[in-house]
Amino acid sequence: MRDNNEEKFIFAACTYFAKNHPGETCGSNGLPLTPSSISILGRAQRLLTIQHPNLCTYLDIIRGKHERIIVVTEVFGKSLEEWKSKFSFDEVTNIGLQISKAMLFLHKQDIVHRTLADGNILLDGSGRVKLFNYGMYYMTGGGSDVPFPLGLPRYLSPETILNGGGPAADIWTFGIILLELCIGKLWQNLKPGPILRRILTLVHAANPAERIAREHDCFEAYKLVSDHLRNIIEKCLKIYPSERATFEEVVEELSQANVKTVVDVKKPRGLMGCKLQYLYHWWQLTGGDIQAELKKNGLIKNSPPILSMPIAILLDGCTIGGKRGALFDRRIAKYSLDLLKARLSHIPPQDFYPLMHERRRDYDAVALPKIIRERDTEYQFYRLLWFQRLLIGYPYTAQYIRAEAEIDIPPLVRGDVWAALLGVKGDIEEQYERIDKETPTPTDRQIDVDIPRCHQYCWLLCGSAGHRTLKRLLKAWLLTNPQYVYWQGLDSLTAPFLYLNFCNEARAFACLSAFVPKFLHKFFLKDNSAVIKEYLAKFWQMAAFHEPELATHLHEINFVPELFAIPWFLTMFSHVFPLHKIVHLWDALLVEGPALPLFMGVGILRQLKDTLLDSGFNECILLFSDLPEIDIGECVKESIEMCRSSPKSISYRRFTNEPEVKDPMDIVEIPMEVLLSEISPRISMSDFFSLTCQDKCCVVDIRSNLLYEKSCIEGSVNVPYSGVQLGQRDLRALGLNAHRALRHAVTHKNTIVIASAEDETAQLFSDYLVKCNVPRVCILYGGISALQSHVPSLFIVPIKKTGSK
Amino acid sequence: MTTERTETIVHNATKTFKFSFPTCTNEELLFKLEVPVEIPYDGSPRELVQRVINMFHIPVYLEDELNEKLAQFIGDETREFHNSRDAKLLDQLKNSELNVDGIVKQWEKLFKENVVEFAEQKGTSDEEVFAAAYHKLVHSPALDTILQVENSYAKTVSNMMQSRDEDINKLTERQTEEMEEKMRLLNVSTTEEEINETAARQFEAQSVAAARWESQLDALRHTQRAAHRAWLMAALDHYQGQAELATPSNSPLTTFPPEAGELVGSGGLGEPRPQLEESFTIHLGSQLKQTHNIRLVAADMLDLCALNHHDNGAAARLQPALALYSGELTGAVVLCEAGPAGTGDPPQRLLRLAAAATEHHFDDINRQLRHIAEAIRAPAEQRNARRAQQAGGAAGATGSGGGGRGWWGGGRALRPGDVLVTRHSNLDTHVIFHLVVDDSLKADITSRHPAILGLRNILKAACCNDVTTISLPLLLRNEITEVRRVRLRSVGVGGGEAGEACICRAECGGVSQEMTAAWCVRRAELVLKCVKGFVLEAAGGGGAELRTLHAALPPHAPDLFAAVQSLLPSVFRVAGPLRAPRRAAPL
Repeated sequence: MRDNNEEKFIFAACTYFAKNHPGETCGSNGLPLTPSSISILGRAQRLLTIQHPNLCTYLDIIRGKHERIIVVTEVFGKSLEEWKSKFSFDEVTNIGLQISKAMLFLHKQDIVHRTLADGNILLDGSGRVKLFNYGMYYMTGGGSDVPFPLGLPRYLSPETILNGGGPAADIWTFGIILLELCIGKLWQNLKPGPILRRILTLVHAANPAERIAREHDCFEAYKLVSDHLRNIIEKCLKIYPSERATFEEVVEELSQANVKTVVDVKKPRGLMGCKLQYLYHWWQLTGGDIQAELKKNGLIKNSPPILSMPIAILLDGCTIGGKRGALFDRRIAKYSLDLLKARLSHIPPQDFYPLMHERRRDYDAVALPKIIRERDTEYQFYRLLWFQRLLIGYPYTAQYIRAEAEIDIPPLVRGDVWAALLGVKGDIEEQYERIDKETPTPTDRQIDVDIPRCHQYCWLLCGSAGHRTLKRLLKAWLLTNPQYVYWQGLDSLTAPFLYLNFCNEARAFACLSAFVPKFLHKFFLKDNSAVIKEYLAKFWQMAAFHEPELATHLHEINFVPELFAIPWFLTMFSHVFPLHKIVHLWDALLVEGPALPLFMGVGILRQLKDTLLDSGFNECILLFSDLPEIDIGECVKESIEMCRSSPKSISYRRFTNEPEVKDPMDIVEIPMEVLLSEISPRISMSDFFSLTCQDKCCVVDIRSNLLYEKSCIEGSVNVPYSGVQLGQRDLRALGLNAHRALRHAVTHKNTIVIASAEDETAQLFSDYLVKCNVPRVCILYGGISALQSHVPSLFIVPIKKTGSK
Repeated sequence: MTTERTETIVHNATKTFKFSFPTCTNEELLFKLEVPVEIPYDGSPRELVQRVINMFHIPVYLEDELNEKLAQFIGDETREFHNSRDAKLLDQLKNSELNVDGIVKQWEKLFKENVVEFAEQKGTSDEEVFAAAYHKLVHSPALDTILQVENSYAKTVSNMMQSRDEDINKLTERQTEEMEEKMRLLNVSTTEEEINETAARQFEAQSVAAARWESQLDALRHTQRAAHRAWLMAALDHYQGQAELATPSNSPLTTFPPEAGELVGSGGLGEPRPQLEESFTIHLGSQLKQTHNIRLVAADMLDLCALNHHDNGAAARLQPALALYSGELTGAVVLCEAGPAGTGDPPQRLLRLAAAATEHHFDDINRQLRHIAEAIRAPAEQRNARRAQQAGGAAGATGSGGGGRGWWGGGRALRPGDVLVTRHSNLDTHVIFHLVVDDSLKADITSRHPAILGLRNILKAACCNDVTTISLPLLLRNEITEVRRVRLRSVGVGGGEAGEACICRAECGGVSQEMTAAWCVRRAELVLKCVKGFVLEAAGGGGAELRTLHAALPPHAPDLFAAVQSLLPSVFRVAGPLRAPRRAAPL
């Protein structure tokens, strides 16, 4: 019964223009008015989340040039308009029941349809019904954001024509549709004016349905309609909305009368069994072009812009002459998946159902940069299916998710994966519900000032929906964290979570709440100076550790991190980079943990190294006042490498959420004043021990040679501090032996550990090494004496080299 | 103009939600709770319940009940709200209190003007057909021919204009001689009456000559235009008959085949192109960076608009012709005074430039301006009246003088900051934005000055209408350039202190206003900073991205040019040079 053609098309697109704001180009707050298309985009996001068996899923809302909106949704079967055959009353009952179920669902969500018509009710051969593009009224703010009227004249209820109309208008339309299904199309050859007039005259009729039937000479046919159905139609077509039935009642009554059951269609397997959103995503990656098909169908026409140029613009922004917006065309363009099917045709059926404990195949694409992997159809196909599998198992699969996220995260499920990485679980909706986000607080003013300046290039965040949600999130967070205050930058920090969870406020909030203690513990204290100071000092030490030349230069021109790096760390870079870069940065951050940002800072400095080395203080200030383009992929790669190759203890901070270190072998904590004055970090004894075991370090013992000769660390070099001339920046001055050892360490990327009897000399000597451009210099915590008491096995008595001097 | 729909007036109502529950100790004693709720309520009822529970310390065991009751309450009240409003409307309809005709007409109009199904079927307009044909042809091998043809047409026109000028000059010479002769013989053989008569006669002769030439020119342009159009359409048929003519989807705007080189070579000998210019690539935006080009040029704005007609202008026509019907238009901002009768008064030179070749695509500039003047009068006057009223009201309220009323109430419809837009196919720029300015620009201005606001509107309109390259006078002054030239020479002779020396002096209404180098730099900085903001703002408008901005500085002022040149990097983030990675220094 079903023909193949019908199956072919999976989704469809329609397009229209949003209204231009006439006149004033500024809102009351002095900022430019939000374009209507942005408002539509913001509202429509909610539609993307709606799932119901009788509703076509919305797949995408695209904002094109010149206020164009393109809506992509699922499509199936044929519309009632296209079905030429007449339906039996049983069939009508069944169709009606499915429509009313869908409508009941929408009304429960506070979505008014308003545009219900035979053209957007889709029916397939097996009798399933889905409503198509039911969100027009909702996404356009009740039609106020578009220049054209919504709906078709013959389906408008009398009160809608009078510019009123609430949800009950949908009932009227539903009644008209049932009536049409029973007695044929109404007012077929009339123009809008006469139709509207006729509808308005119905208010004088006692029984509008009967009156309509008589008008169409169908009274006999109408009488033949089963009592039950007629009864429902008449209940729907009451003039006064208060007297009309509700969809609850309609569903109730229709299901009693319904005799037909829809044939259960077996869920297709393979590609067609995948989630529609995934199919659409893959189809786009294969090169599917929504606009091309619209153009082909004449739904997007390009008229040369010079022909629609306005002829004058008055001072207040009022434009005279020029463009007449294109007319609204209800037609749709349909898309088949042929392209994608052909692309994935070689994939064996079992690959659609990956098994959790199967050995994962390696894909060649892994070696490519992330941005390219994100555009690779086949790679995304495997990744998405696998992640879907893992996410269903969350929280039990948290470990697997972390391991996979280390490779990369498919953009389509990034929101879910981040939530999983942050350990978000439980009834977050209810927790979020309990927080009061409305009551005004003193910080509201500042929040209101900051939000319209936060990532406004992003179309989601710059609309009123984005602004409102961001404000609610910030208020909720401040309320649940009374120990913290609002620091500017918190808005930027929240933005990525909102961007990824635009329709899931609760999860955005849960993510933020989990993120802050992990990465920004105590950063938002009213007095956060100690925390920030420590963080920056640590950042500076890491810079000296990995980029000694640069660090020395910046030290010398006195360009300290306080001048530029506070927004980097306070917002975890979300204030300095655009969202598409932040997501890649944070992908790594969430997997690698709280030490990574320090190295990311170093990674950024490293990319600017050449410029910085040539710049003086003023140029540096200018450069960082507006950060130049940074290659994020490279930065992330290098920072991860730095992070992993650095001993864990050197990036230790006291202000973290982690449990206190108790083991004396692990302790590296030193007083703040000391920390702030030191250029090289301290390494803990246990890290030192493991480095020694792996033969990855070079120990420089700076005690006097007398002490050294008594007992020393095996393999260490002795450079008595007293003999070092700090002014002479040449390693050769340290003696042949030391020079060779240090050069060997530098070329093999070994860590250079300075061991001494007292901290002060170690500190000065490490400064000296850094100034000589020696990377990876650190100071052994506790010095020789502590090591001797905890790990005496490392010590030997050096063999006297006789005759060497 | 867009039609405004009468918005449904929705008066939100506040209803009170009442809830009572017994106290723990005494069943009889009831706690009463009253919460005002706005209907329709756009928040979540469940969140409201949480707030209520917190605020009034309501026992948590009532939470579920409250949730249910409040949702019920809001649902009922919302339904009631819609229903009662609609019932009122329907009652009015029943009692014939509504203007049914008006309402239906309005819907009819809405459907007819905005929805395809109900709109009148109309074919593609002539304009569009011609546009498509022309665009196709200039992207075909016929391009060369078209440019040559257009150029020879232009040459004919400019030759005729030249003869006109010579003719009229001769006439003027003859008349001057005659007049001088008469004046010499005044009171000898001629009388004052005779002289007056002669003057009148001469004037008449002048107008007759001018009119004759003008009509000849008009006729010539008319024939040219008709012939050119006919030829183009025929050429298109010819090409289409031959084979399917593939229009390249990406027009070769930037990479034109080497033949163009020859054309350029023979183009020479025109006005020398401006000597001083420098291009900057800038990044705008705090997080997401947009890239734009800024080109500083020391040249007269009108030189930037002009096509080079000399000898072989075909090469100069190439770019404008290729881009004319594309989405990458070129625009220029030209300052003009508000003329009488609601027209702008563009510089005479511009009119001459535009008249120097036949306008094959649009109306000629005078007609366009007349048409604009007609269309703009009503809205502009309406606006002025409204402003005058507001100003009057404000003045009344503050009790101060009616300065505002005078400003808005005058006879002229156009105000500083208003912009007229003309389209051209025979200039180097496709669109000219005539920005109306007045004398206030001679003094220091703030970013709220109408001219600056006008600039903002221009940039916004440019973005919305696919103008991707725009030129603007950076100092927002037209005429000072002439004075400046003279003065600067003297400064140059004077030597040393050119930096702060008075560059020029412009007379305005008896008050002399000094335009020092400092003033110029200040103005340039203000305009650049404002433009920066406007470009950023316009980028969100959803049109084409503004790619190149030409900022014109007065020619022959190298010091000023250098000053602005050094100013630019402090206003914009200029892209630095690409650096080759440096080798690590050996240890």
